[in-house]
Amino acid sequence: MMTLIYRGIGLFVAAFVLRCMFREKSFWKQVTAAMVLIPLILRILLIK
Amino acid sequence: MRSSRGTALTAAALCVAVALICFVSARSFLAMRLPDPVAPAQGFERYNLSHWFPALKGSPGDSDVYIQDSGVPGGTVFIMGGTHPNEPSGYMAAVVYLERAKVTKGRLIVMPFANATAMGHNSPQEASPQYFSLDVDGGTRWFRYGSRATNPVYQWPAPDIYIHAQSGQKLDGGSKSNLNRAYPGVPDDSLTQQVAYGIIQLLNKEKVDLAFDLHEASPEYPVVNAIVAHNRAMELAAMVSMELEMAGIPMRLEPSPVNFRGLSHREWGDHSDALAILMETGNPSQGRLRGKTDAALAVTGKDKAYLKAAALGRLFIPYEGDQTLDLRTARHVTSMKMFMDMLGDVKEGGDVEVEGIPSFDDMMERGIGAFLSPVEDDRFDGK
Repeated sequence: MMTLIYRGIGLFVAAFVLRCMFREKSFWKQVTAAMVLIPLILRILLIK
Repeated sequence: MRSSRGTALTAAALCVAVALICFVSARSFLAMRLPDPVAPAQGFERYNLSHWFPALKGSPGDSDVYIQDSGVPGGTVFIMGGTHPNEPSGYMAAVVYLERAKVTKGRLIVMPFANATAMGHNSPQEASPQYFSLDVDGGTRWFRYGSRATNPVYQWPAPDIYIHAQSGQKLDGGSKSNLNRAYPGVPDDSLTQQVAYGIIQLLNKEKVDLAFDLHEASPEYPVVNAIVAHNRAMELAAMVSMELEMAGIPMRLEPSPVNFRGLSHREWGDHSDALAILMETGNPSQGRLRGKTDAALAVTGKDKAYLKAAALGRLFIPYEGDQTLDLRTARHVTSMKMFMDMLGDVKEGGDVEVEGIPSFDDMMERGIGAFLSPVEDDRFDGK
């Protein structure tokens, strides 16, 4: 159950980071968001 | 300087880049979860830990266990490596026995990778290599370099404080994922505690006479190049320690502390009839003083910082620029052979005779790779 909640939180945060990335007007800030997404995705998939 | 403009198109391009990086990283991380292939010597039969503790069946902690029975009455010896997979000589010594041993009296049980999930990841912030390789006849063998702790993917979160169930001893929360703080285990707790419980069941149900837990330690840690023995095993360990000293392979002897709970040398001895032994060799790739950390350091032990520390008298091993995996593994292999040769002297009917194990000098001269069999393995090819 805790793992499901953890993954849910990860998915929630990832969705917001993705949303910010598409709304962001600065390319370098988009890159920053992309860098945040990588570990989030690996955590959601329980790979790392 | 004007910042570059971000658009939906650049965001989409970055999404593709993220997907690509995630794919490559995931492949690399997941390759570490594939077991190291081994080539057991003739006569070994494969089991899983769930054979002794069925609740582990199908779980990631259901480690492989191999048994060779000579058919001749005698004792039973248990060799366990991989409690801490960042201590490679421990599991390499178990693999040497698994691939070379011909048991002519008694039984030999080998569990090369005890904490299976700890083999499948690295500890954060340690810069550890994922794997190292050894040249063997006809090819290369790859072995993973894992973590001290159970993979958090399977045991999460760590508590603030780990309370050892049987004693109430309090340790840091991360120690709950440390197999060598979990004995005698708890059947319905976290994965690490279940694996520990399974190992105790194995020791009891197989009536193990002598049990080894093989480790490594930092060269600056006092308990290194050492045998730690349960009080019932002290007589045998003292005899072996003297023999090793005479053979020019000194291993200092330490009694298992009575009040430090959860460790194999204490709990195996208290909760089974086995004479419990833990052994440590000196591994610069896990020490705090090390410099660049890579597969070469794990295999050669060459490190400038340790050379300097040795000159300052800060180490507990003789260090002259290297501490090879061959040397560290040979220490474990030779020490265990001496224990087995003398077991019958302290335990009536406990004789275990094993042939085919390379000598210390052979391993030092030819390297341990010369005593391992080639296997099919494409996990780390091209990396």
